Amino acid sequence: MNLYEAGDHAELRILLITGGWEVRRSFNQMGIQPGDRVRVLRRAPFGGPLEIDNQGTHVAVGKQLAEKIRVEVLP
Amino acid sequence: MKVALVGQPNSGKSTLFNAVAGYRSLTSNFAGTTVEYTHGQARVGGEVLELIDLPGLYSLTPTSPVEEVSRDYLLAGDWDVIVNVLDASQLARSLELTLELLDLESPLVVCLNMMDEAARKGMTIDTHALQTALGVPVVEAIAARGRGIIETFRTAQDIASGGSRPHAFVYAPEAESILARLAEKIAEGALECGGSTPPWNKAQQERSIKPPLWSDAQQERGVELLPRNKAQEESGVEPPHSKALRALPCTVLDCSSNCCGHGPAVEGQQGPRVTTAVAELPVLPPAVSPPAALHEGQFQSPITNHQSQLAVFPPPRFRALQWVQSDPRQVRREEPEMAPMVEWAQAGIAVRTGQPADAAISSARHAACLTLFERVAHVARPRADWREQVDRLAMHPVWGYAVLMGVFLGFFRLIFDVGKLGEDRILNLFDALVAALAQHMNAQGALFAAAKGAVLGTAGAVAIVLPYLLPFLVGLAILEDIGYLSRVGYLMDAAMHRLGLHGTATLPILVGYGCSVPAVMATRILSTRRDRFIAAFLAVLVPCSARMTVIFALVGFYLGANYALGIYALNILVVAVAGHLLALIWPEISPGMLMEVPAYRVPAPRVVALKTWWRLREFVLVAFPLLVVGSVVLSLVDFYGWQHGINAALSPLTALLGLPRSVGLTLIFGVLRKELSLLMLMQALGTTHVLGVMTAAQILIFTLFVTFYLPCMATLASMMRELGWRLTLAASAALLALAIVVSLAARGLMLLL
Repeated sequence: MNLYEAGDHAELRILLITGGWEVRRSFNQMGIQPGDRVRVLRRAPFGGPLEIDNQGTHVAVGKQLAEKIRVEVLP
Repeated sequence: MKVALVGQPNSGKSTLFNAVAGYRSLTSNFAGTTVEYTHGQARVGGEVLELIDLPGLYSLTPTSPVEEVSRDYLLAGDWDVIVNVLDASQLARSLELTLELLDLESPLVVCLNMMDEAARKGMTIDTHALQTALGVPVVEAIAARGRGIIETFRTAQDIASGGSRPHAFVYAPEAESILARLAEKIAEGALECGGSTPPWNKAQQERSIKPPLWSDAQQERGVELLPRNKAQEESGVEPPHSKALRALPCTVLDCSSNCCGHGPAVEGQQGPRVTTAVAELPVLPPAVSPPAALHEGQFQSPITNHQSQLAVFPPPRFRALQWVQSDPRQVRREEPEMAPMVEWAQAGIAVRTGQPADAAISSARHAACLTLFERVAHVARPRADWREQVDRLAMHPVWGYAVLMGVFLGFFRLIFDVGKLGEDRILNLFDALVAALAQHMNAQGALFAAAKGAVLGTAGAVAIVLPYLLPFLVGLAILEDIGYLSRVGYLMDAAMHRLGLHGTATLPILVGYGCSVPAVMATRILSTRRDRFIAAFLAVLVPCSARMTVIFALVGFYLGANYALGIYALNILVVAVAGHLLALIWPEISPGMLMEVPAYRVPAPRVVALKTWWRLREFVLVAFPLLVVGSVVLSLVDFYGWQHGINAALSPLTALLGLPRSVGLTLIFGVLRKELSLLMLMQALGTTHVLGVMTAAQILIFTLFVTFYLPCMATLASMMRELGWRLTLAASAALLALAIVVSLAARGLMLLL
């Protein structure tokens, strides 16, 4: 499951960030890495970005990038 | 003493800077770029400190030109101490930059800012433990309330004069031996001044090393956070993790030594991915054929000359880290001599960690930060936060847009109300000045014409700047510092995608409705040249307040408000089509929006005032001379009666659009200042009753043309600064063509009707 498909407010764990060097670098800059626990706070309409909470840091992630993050739902 | 302030965006770095340096500070551009930094002086404890406030950067591996320039500045080493400002409420993430700065092994002070914010989030931070773990002094601060600022700079002074240098962190032990090899090669290359010197190292410096002040604290660190040198010194050369290293599968590095025997057993545990990676490893280039580097006793400390008095800056290990984390394609393209070496190191790390080298390093650093965070910070239940409630409304899929509309309508309303008040008075003042000049000079002379032009040019400049730009810039700085602009970016991202842009480009385009000059300046926040160009082009296309005056005074007055609003609707359509076309011509490469949504903050009046002042000063410097000189030239044109020649020269255009020949000159005036085309139109036609001279259709076509054609001179000047003359020229040509097409289409449509 990718981040964009994940439901709002669920506790998620990032498994893998697919995509090339630039993509990894951008996520790394925002402090987002595989293993992190994140939560989708809300999403903008018309295929807009998601707002996620990663340890208290709120980050807006565009649809294309969110689809590059593989996540699992934590119990 | 030079102090470089380094921190992630929104860490309150500028608040710290402004608290001590303030209005005497200057903004400068980094050589050859439009990236700005602020510098100033402050007297702390009897000594004058030179402070450099670098633009915020998330890491030392940059993704935007702004970050790149900041990184290059740091690596040039023209400073004595770094003050790393952290947002304490975002400690875990902020520490990532701190660890990278530690890799510079240079005097460093950590300023833990926004401690109040952290407390509100229910965090308690053991500053002493953090200081112990990092090996550099950590100072608590609440810069917005003036707390901890002097302490920070005092500590920076002590550290710089004491010459204390921290040790780098070992966060990726698997990579360390490979980094050491690479660093060794780099150090050799650097000493020989070979061709492989990285670009940032041109201003290489030699720095003297003194024993660290903080080394006594380092014994308290855990294994995974052990400083490399200390560990090696204590355990007699071999670092504790090197056993683990040798147990890892073979790499090209290992194969030339005699450790290949135990490879397969471990590979089995590592899974098939590692095995494939081994198979794909590139052949090691002969130049770097490693000796038995990993042998016991030969493990090289990355800082080979640790005991000597001189070291190269940036440290070879740091540079090795930078190379290993860099984009292999870029290395191959830009530093082909370095590429085989770097690829070898990246492949080696990839084999050992099972992931790409850059990901291995950054995830190890990330993990180290989290470990550190858990050790020094405790998070209790956060206090109930009203700001989350605000976001429920401001970022709501429906109400968010209503709030957005409300905020911007209110914002522009305020600017125009304030602006209108000031503009008339200022213009009256200058009219009186012209009248006074006429009495004291020969009103028929060329000199008077020139003087009149200069006064009116100044009047125009002042009448735009003071009444409109000032409240606009204040409002913009407030919206920015509150944190609302990020929400705008979030809400508008989907819509902006249809223009080939991201949500972050909303700001320049919205600002364009006010004035094109700050709109073009605002494109600086975008990360690629492509995005900056498209955003600037669309922002200039949007009718600014001066063009609004023309639209409402001509079309609105003579044809009715519906036609005027129709022009706005048509403009939005044209912007959408133009954005679409530009996105096709210059396709997108950036992967999409990834933007921090900062917590709402109360803006500090001092920071708002300073931001406004800097932007205002920049506008004044760019636009004032142009407006005054242009105005003088046009006065002289008028004086010597050259307008007939100009009208004749422009007659093909005016004839094409079906406009009276006499409006030619007004179009030239319009380039100087858009609302001048209105005044000059009336002067050129010799009447204020335009409908008596031009038909309704001609008024509409004239207005359409003025709305879309070339931006004013001040805008062109800012475009030159931000985009360079080629793109400015291309944009101008495209705008002119667009204006002709739109006006002709309107003419054809009206002929049909």
